[in-house]
Amino acid sequence: MKYIGKEIVGLPTRQLVAGKGQYVSDVILDGMLHMAIVRSPYAHARIKSIDTKPAEAVPGVVYVITGKEVIENMRPIMEAYDTAAMDAKSVKCYALCPERVRYVGEAVAAVVAEDKYTARLAADLVEVDYEELPVVFDAEEAMKPGAPLVEPDWDSNVMVTRDFIRGDLDKAFAEADGTFSGTINTQRYTGAAIEPRGYVATYDPYQDMLTMWASTQNPHPMRVFLAETLGIPETSIRVIQPHVGGGFGLKIPTFQEEPLIAYLARKLARPIKWIEERQENLLVGGHARQNRLHYDVAYKKDGSVIGFRAKVIADVGAPAALCGWGQSFVTSYCIPTCYKIPNCRVQLFTVVTNKCPWNAYRGYGKEAASFLMDRVMDGVAKATGVDRAEVRLKNFIQPEEFPYSQVSGAMIDSGNYPKALNRVLEMVGYKDFPKLQADARKQGRCIGLGIGQELTPEGCSMPKSTLLSGYDGCTVRVNPSGQVTVLTGVTSPGSGNETGIAQIVADTLGVDVKLIRVIQGDTDTCPYGLGNYSSRSIIMGGAAAQVAGTDIREKMFKVAAKMLEVAPADIDSEDGKIYVKGAPSRYVLFKDVASTVYRDCYGKFASDVEPGLEATRYFRHPNVYHQPEVDGRFSSYPSWPNGVSACVVEVDPETGIVKLLRYCAVHDAGVLINPLLAQANLHGGIIQGLGGAMFENLVYDEAGQLKTASFLDYTIPTAVDCPSLEVEHQETRSPFNPLGCKGVGESGVTAPLGAICSAVENALGHLKLNFDEMPLTPDRVWQEIRHAQQQA
Amino acid sequence: MISEEFEFRAPTKLAEALSLLERYGDDAKILAGGMSLVPMMTLGLVRPKTVISFNHITDLNFVIDAKDVIRIGAMTRHDTVAHHDLIKKHLPLLATAAVGIGDVQVRHRGTIGGSLAHADPAADYPPVMLVAGAQFRIQSAKGDRMVKAAEFFTGLMQTAVGAGEVLSEIHVPKLPAGAGSAYLRLHRVEGSFPIVNAAAVIEKGFKSARVAIGGVGESAVMIDVTKHLSKGVSDQSLRAISDAAYDASGDAYGDLNGDTEYRRAMARVYAQRVIKAAAAQIR
Repeated sequence: MKYIGKEIVGLPTRQLVAGKGQYVSDVILDGMLHMAIVRSPYAHARIKSIDTKPAEAVPGVVYVITGKEVIENMRPIMEAYDTAAMDAKSVKCYALCPERVRYVGEAVAAVVAEDKYTARLAADLVEVDYEELPVVFDAEEAMKPGAPLVEPDWDSNVMVTRDFIRGDLDKAFAEADGTFSGTINTQRYTGAAIEPRGYVATYDPYQDMLTMWASTQNPHPMRVFLAETLGIPETSIRVIQPHVGGGFGLKIPTFQEEPLIAYLARKLARPIKWIEERQENLLVGGHARQNRLHYDVAYKKDGSVIGFRAKVIADVGAPAALCGWGQSFVTSYCIPTCYKIPNCRVQLFTVVTNKCPWNAYRGYGKEAASFLMDRVMDGVAKATGVDRAEVRLKNFIQPEEFPYSQVSGAMIDSGNYPKALNRVLEMVGYKDFPKLQADARKQGRCIGLGIGQELTPEGCSMPKSTLLSGYDGCTVRVNPSGQVTVLTGVTSPGSGNETGIAQIVADTLGVDVKLIRVIQGDTDTCPYGLGNYSSRSIIMGGAAAQVAGTDIREKMFKVAAKMLEVAPADIDSEDGKIYVKGAPSRYVLFKDVASTVYRDCYGKFASDVEPGLEATRYFRHPNVYHQPEVDGRFSSYPSWPNGVSACVVEVDPETGIVKLLRYCAVHDAGVLINPLLAQANLHGGIIQGLGGAMFENLVYDEAGQLKTASFLDYTIPTAVDCPSLEVEHQETRSPFNPLGCKGVGESGVTAPLGAICSAVENALGHLKLNFDEMPLTPDRVWQEIRHAQQQA
Repeated sequence: MISEEFEFRAPTKLAEALSLLERYGDDAKILAGGMSLVPMMTLGLVRPKTVISFNHITDLNFVIDAKDVIRIGAMTRHDTVAHHDLIKKHLPLLATAAVGIGDVQVRHRGTIGGSLAHADPAADYPPVMLVAGAQFRIQSAKGDRMVKAAEFFTGLMQTAVGAGEVLSEIHVPKLPAGAGSAYLRLHRVEGSFPIVNAAAVIEKGFKSARVAIGGVGESAVMIDVTKHLSKGVSDQSLRAISDAAYDASGDAYGDLNGDTEYRRAMARVYAQRVIKAAAAQIR
């Protein structure tokens, strides 16, 4: 049988559901110490002095470290996203701040003690004398001349800019039937993994070997970062990724605690554990999303958009070594997403403020671009009276126009946006909805339907990058008894790519998927690879597995052909048998061929192939362009999955409560290796998207203190708050990926933003509301309603 | 994380617990279900020297039919309150309030006594206690007294329970025959505290009617709306009740879930809705 396309339950599912997963917290070593972090209570301050004595006096405290020791012994933390390659400003960030803190929660000292309670208690006794410095919390305020500088060495708070232009904007706006402008605010929010960050580090001085168990997505890059930051050889570090209880991008290095715990384990030559607390996670575990998007639209009466200007102002928090700020670039890179707008200008201003730095979060800036375009398309519909769906259909890049080059130079590989939109409208009953809505209105109920598009480029490949270089490796090893070991450079944060990769290898070799064991997340055993981000694990890791598997298959076919006395071209394999095409009764068993290679390398069947059945191969996507001088373009994303959602909400106009009644989605990620796991990813993504649309908000007060540092105040939806999601898949093969896949890991998280806003406006159509700010919490919706009623 | 050491006592008898309370006074905190105390200790908001757990005092876990009242032991879990036949029969609004508290885990750990003594301004029980006319038994090593619900809640997270005292049981009068009652809560997601909540009891024939609203002041406010309902439920009577609710919520606070104006507006909406729902239950 063939496995690609089959719904197979994830390989680790039984273990995880049984509660027998092995997470960092489950790593318990003899003599293990515990670390606690002293964090800045100020949003911007100079560290005048630190008194560690009260902490050192606590019985059980082994060591207290401050920034002074860090700068004397360690380099700045290596950047996860190379600022120089992007013409962005950079800063030197250390494992502990030596002189200055730039946001509440930044690490200034650490205590290592015999138990975690003592460590925490002592950390609270470290006395830090601060001198408060001027602060800036709003990106546009931060851009003004004379604003306080987050980095005094910079000439402004703007970290990086871009300006993409195509066509003649002035002409388009002059020739338009109408124009309008607007501003959208997307709030600061982030993922909420069940497992917060955590590391265990231990050091063997005799072997000069540091071993680090990390709740990370990227073991190999983490090893490079640690080696560079600590100034030690990569070969003296082993990073092991146990099960990860949620990544969402937020477990991508380079956090302060990583080199810190590694340094301390080496210094003290004892194992040390650090498990982040929930408050710490919300405070410093990486934020995302906060953007202000100004736009101007020039349209024709028929709903076609002929001119568009967007100004992206991203509030990325304090600059850090983390890769989060890169999200702002991706937002500008994606606009105007799935639409063909002949005259277009996109400007980016990435601005630093005295708030928690961004880290990558599922969507990675793409969500802001798609949300903006949804608001624009709905705006054009309102302005022209043309139906919302019609406006989108009119402006889509058409299926035959791919590969399509967007204004940023982004090459969109393929897609069929009209087909997906038409299908989701059918699912949700778009045509008949006005009648349903009118009937509900008669009963005093306000229901509305909304549409949200999403375009989520994947397989991020940036030049000169340790983390984002856009390739991956895989080893396929057929063992003497015929079972298969697969070692991957990609990793799974619980999303199931190990299962998909097993399916790909099973099909490539023609064996039962149960014979395959996939090993991931260990720098000592797995081939070098970049881990998990940008939905790359199947498109890169799966493709590498297929390439490596094909090598083994060809080798085994050569041997089998001799055993069957036919040409290798005449044979095929399935269900553990290698057989003659057209004569399946003439076969040899897969395991017998493996045995022959291992046990009879001088015999007549295997003597002309190299002994062993192991191949390590690497894959890079053919449609990434990093050499504009050669390719005529720069394009960093090879794969462009997309989707569209339509949802129905009921709004209680008296309370502002928005209740989601139906959520329909059509998603196109090309070929699906495992539709069950793709579906699971969509469900999780959609619920996170609903979180952004309706619930989640990281709120700072005027002193830069995070007001939402616990789940009491940071509201996330769970399964019980969502209706049953109706998700369908459409398959537009990637013309560039050997598997035809496009990646599905970030899918679903974007469309809810546009769909919910659109649906709430539609439900309250009589009030002509315009939601340009999320989340749509009850009090905000109520305020908008009241405001509109007062105007009327 | 709770990093400071504290003394932990787990008596099995109320008398023993009361003598411990007397001995430790303000240094001690009572752990009932721990659903508020433990998070507060974790966040470092409360740092007791001694924690006295009542979890092993099985004598305080009961629901008893005592003629005109239902007696509920302070250590009765929310899940029991939500599903107990006596409560469902005689105090359906109390069962409804208990069903919405936290999540499944919280309802199996948290206790009615713990929640009432914690006195969060938007907690689920207080409006119910006010409209039902509950009485609270407060015991100490030296005394045993009953306090009316209206006098029990004295301020923001403050009650009539003094140093050395504990809320031991709650006496809730059974609803009069044929009375209608209801409890409603406005919340964001499953498990969230209410933003605003409301309870109402209306006697058959509209002989008396009370509504109480939480989340709009330091503690829940009760309004006697008998006079507005003398002629039954009408648009006019609902408007009057709504205005009364707005007036009664002048001390409403603002937080991330809504400012003062929103809460006062919701007091209007929920007062009306809970009265309508209660009126519909009159038999």
